[in-house]
Amino acid sequence: MIPFQLRLILVAGALLAVWIVARQIRKNKMLVEDAIFWMVTAFVLVVLAVFPGIATSLAQLLGFMSPANFVYLVVIALLLWKAFTNSAEISRLKAKVTELAQEIALAHMDEKDGRTDRESR
Amino acid sequence: MRVLAVIPAYNEEECLADTVDELSRTCPDVDYLVVNDGSKDGTQSVIDREHMRAVSLPVNTGLTSGFRTGMKYAARHGYDAVVQFDADGQHVPSYIPKMARALEDHAADIVIASRCLDGSYRLSGPRGLGSRLISFLIRATTGTKITDPTSGMRMYGRKMIDLFAHGFDIAPEPDMLAYVASRGGTVVEIQTKMRERQGGESYFHLGNVIKYMSRTCLSILMFRFLR
Repeated sequence: MIPFQLRLILVAGALLAVWIVARQIRKNKMLVEDAIFWMVTAFVLVVLAVFPGIATSLAQLLGFMSPANFVYLVVIALLLWKAFTNSAEISRLKAKVTELAQEIALAHMDEKDGRTDRESR
Repeated sequence: MRVLAVIPAYNEEECLADTVDELSRTCPDVDYLVVNDGSKDGTQSVIDREHMRAVSLPVNTGLTSGFRTGMKYAARHGYDAVVQFDADGQHVPSYIPKMARALEDHAADIVIASRCLDGSYRLSGPRGLGSRLISFLIRATTGTKITDPTSGMRMYGRKMIDLFAHGFDIAPEPDMLAYVASRGGTVVEIQTKMRERQGGESYFHLGNVIKYMSRTCLSILMFRFLR
């Protein structure tokens, strides 16, 4: 069995997450596409809390000591996945930012060259 | 052969003028391009005062990105070779024509200005240890012998200019040498001398050496197996 308190905490945490994310979206501080992960995560936690049978039977099937451990594993797996995709996304953003800086610098230089060419003519 | 010297400069107001002056006096046939990588000191005013050929990045993006900006310029202006040249006065410009000759004679992709090729000079301290470890790793993974992989003075041929201008995650660092060698590129060295830095602050204290070494060694091994 999942302790009743843990089920309460899961639901409360999920609701809090949904509320925070919803507020970010309304304030135009987060893209909907990035909010989806948190909404889905909150939904998974609520399902696990409302239907403890799912965690109990899966925990038994996979040989966990207790269903709570299984719930923790699900949370950790979701967080690791998020950390990884964040890292990959930051890599791509870094590459794009340097690319943009380089192009701005080179374009600026061409512009300056064009100006001095005209002046010297 | 049209050679471009790319001079990345980040906060190099002290030495830049002397370095560029010596370079253009010693090698009048070699064009140069200063890449001001978002310097916070007076580098830009030195560039403006001396009317240097320069490109200025709006933010600091790091040595790799700065150098690659120069490579893009070289690719778009049809240069045959690019030499990576430090702004701090360590590199001696009279070796540039010799490097260009070596590039042509060996039909090489990269020519390294080595301090250690003839054995007359050994890098000392943690840098020397690190350099020998990198040499060993490159030799073990690619079979190519490079005596001075951390030398910052390297000349790149046409193919390398394109690779730097368009490739993803290609840095002017020793792991790139291993990558190029493992892909069948030709990397040769010529014996040169270098000076002590004429100003500015060396990036290589012990903490950085350890960070640099672990990054480089892991990268060489990962290049070997992943790319």
